[in-house]
Amino acid sequence: MEWRLVKAEVDQPMESAEAIYQEQVAKGFLTAKLDDLVAWGRAHSLWPFNFGLSCCYVEMATALTSRHDMSRFGAEVIRATPRQADLIVIAGTVFRKMAPVVQHLYDQLLEPKWVISMGSCANSGGMFDIYSVVQGVDKFLPVDVYVPGCPPRPEALMQGLTLLQEAVKARPRPYSWIVGEDGEVSKYQPSQRDARTPARMRVTDLEEPAHVGDAPLSKELLRQKSPSPATPGRDGTGRRR
Amino acid sequence: MAEVVEQPAPETAAGETGSELEALRQRLGPDIQIQHTVDGIPNLWVPRSRLLEVMGGLKKDYPLLFDLSAVDERVRSNRNGLPDADFTVFYHLISLEKNSDLRIKVALADSDSSLPSLTSVWPAANWYEREAYDMFGVNFEGHPNLYRILTPALWEGHPLRKEHPARATEMDPFRMTDELLDAQQESLRFKPEEWGMSRGAKHTDFMFLNLGPNHPSVHGVFRIALQLDGEVVVDAVPDIGYHHRGAEKMGERQSWHTYIPYTDRVDYLGGVMNNLPYVMAVEKMAGIEVPDRAKVIRIMMSEFFRIASHLLFFGTFAQDVGQMSPVFYMFADRERLFSIVEAITGGRMHPSWFRIGGVGQDLPEGWDTMVRDFVDYMPARVDHYDKMATQNGILKRRTIGVGQYDSAEAVEWGITGPGMRATGLDWDLRKKRPYGGYDQFDFEVPLAANGDCYDRCVVRVEEIRQSLRIIRQCLDNMPAGPYKADHPQATPPPKERTMQDIETLIQHFLNVSWGPVIPPSECSTMIEATKGWNSYYLTSDGGTMSYRTRIRTPSFPHLQMIPLISRGFMIADLIAIIASIDFVMADVDR
Repeated sequence: MEWRLVKAEVDQPMESAEAIYQEQVAKGFLTAKLDDLVAWGRAHSLWPFNFGLSCCYVEMATALTSRHDMSRFGAEVIRATPRQADLIVIAGTVFRKMAPVVQHLYDQLLEPKWVISMGSCANSGGMFDIYSVVQGVDKFLPVDVYVPGCPPRPEALMQGLTLLQEAVKARPRPYSWIVGEDGEVSKYQPSQRDARTPARMRVTDLEEPAHVGDAPLSKELLRQKSPSPATPGRDGTGRRR
Repeated sequence: MAEVVEQPAPETAAGETGSELEALRQRLGPDIQIQHTVDGIPNLWVPRSRLLEVMGGLKKDYPLLFDLSAVDERVRSNRNGLPDADFTVFYHLISLEKNSDLRIKVALADSDSSLPSLTSVWPAANWYEREAYDMFGVNFEGHPNLYRILTPALWEGHPLRKEHPARATEMDPFRMTDELLDAQQESLRFKPEEWGMSRGAKHTDFMFLNLGPNHPSVHGVFRIALQLDGEVVVDAVPDIGYHHRGAEKMGERQSWHTYIPYTDRVDYLGGVMNNLPYVMAVEKMAGIEVPDRAKVIRIMMSEFFRIASHLLFFGTFAQDVGQMSPVFYMFADRERLFSIVEAITGGRMHPSWFRIGGVGQDLPEGWDTMVRDFVDYMPARVDHYDKMATQNGILKRRTIGVGQYDSAEAVEWGITGPGMRATGLDWDLRKKRPYGGYDQFDFEVPLAANGDCYDRCVVRVEEIRQSLRIIRQCLDNMPAGPYKADHPQATPPPKERTMQDIETLIQHFLNVSWGPVIPPSECSTMIEATKGWNSYYLTSDGGTMSYRTRIRTPSFPHLQMIPLISRGFMIADLIAIIASIDFVMADVDR
């Protein structure tokens, strides 16, 4: 810090405003709109609720565990009670018998709260246009992000999460009815399909998947043979029971 | 006395031999009509008045009540001399000793669809009869709690009756109203008196605890109402149906071919293994012989999914009794496995890759390297997990002696698969009734003795090793040749020749748009699935769609047994018991 001795004089500012400002900036202070700051904080500390309905939940669990580890993106450890969570991933089919329970759980989530609809069933009923299935969770819950797939791969859910984070940043929600107006600031959300169509249309070579390497994740992953911690088993003597 | 024979003559693998059937017929009397179906299982039509007497007599020889459901016969055209019926209730019985099956059928009129309950003979009939009541409106006289089981308590109509709409879009759209929420909450309120429970004993007031339908430890949307004395479970009432996706009704509106993806989602951890009993049943009805290469590919993929399912079981089981880390290791290995599944089928959890007459595509180049890498890599990992989880002292103390049942109880309650073999009963369908080419493979059937939570885990861990053995044999002995049968009903038909001649093009067009037409017949096929015996009992009325698709899943009876094996244990033990059963709710509610 720079310093010097000056003589104290009444009605004389000790430093010019610009110099003070520059000094504060150098100290690492940040000035921002409260809305933006809170939205940034909210986007990177989402607390998902441990909630699953069917097959999609297995892929959601895959996204949460090793290799994918969704907490890298700031969606931390899943909470077992809705009262400690602010994000619900509707992972699976929404059954008529289960729908009131889903509503009940949603009502208990902390405000402000977000909803990701994961998989075709939750998006629209998908292949289950059948008497016992609600044709999409958006029939009764406000959905923020739809993740397509049956089930979506873990990477798709992670992409959905990052899209949600962008939306959280772009569309701040009120802190409380005491501080300001209720309701959210809505902003047009571009369709991902429209955004990606030009790039997809440029793909001209679609080859038959005749080789294992054609699968996106296949060979390289398997080749990463991690040094096995269980060497005693390799010679056949390690087998117990 | 009439006898109805469906093509081809009954060369039974599973059913009674001719002489034994004759003896049975003599014993039961002249008012029993016999029907032969293509699966070789004799069907005995028994008059309703004699049901209890006949079943009581058969139980000694056929102690396993494998399945019980009904068929709505009202719009079926090809009945070929079967007794007049608006509804047929059928009971599938199995003798483990003789390794044979029997199907008992009872004809009912719509105006009087009522028959005696079997719960006094087989306790396991309880849930099955509730399901048949829920789905068809058939009344079982003398049933202790004949409530709806799969549909919500407030549901109107019986979904598997032909007049009930199949599609949600044929019905009024779903609306969430406050009235609905209140009514549903009220209907979920547990009333102990309905289940014959008292609210208190001499020195204690019982507490009734609602576990589920959303709880981290119940593995899906499953609810149990618990009667507790302190922390001790006095009694439990499992409540299912939160995952009912109408898979059986779906079969009545999808073509034989386009139904395959729905089978994947029944046991959603079993992937393509779910396709197997379904396509095998259709192939038997159509008379398709599957080429060897397709058989071996099917076995290899099925065993991959057995490993994937068992790994998930293993990880979550260890987690439920308090070990945090194993599940992370096992999910990483599942990813390795899925990379192979994806390279071969293009899908991960639900490839829907088996076809009527074969599989979807041939194996891609380089599959053998991937598979070899995996089977070289995995055994050491299993040993490591064995050391990390199953040899762990805390896990042992939490699970040994908990949730125990013996072989007789397993048979009585219809427990199959690893849960049955954990009691020491040496019954693996892959050995006892080798299907789809399993007789060509060298593997052992892991057994345990105590039938507790720990043994159920140990059996599955050993099954992973045996599955790896089978996969290695597939790898070393993969036959050359076609991956799909050269048969007009094989779907979709070969594409290569479609641009060469018009006949093949027409055939291809029809088989893809309408789907194959399967001759009128009935067939059930069962396999040793990841969780137990899974069977499809298909009825064709000679159309492009199934007339009735009955899916017998292993987890349904397994959950029914929970009260029996959890009484007297603590709540934490109940969590271990639930984890050790290894179920997914789609496999229960379908």
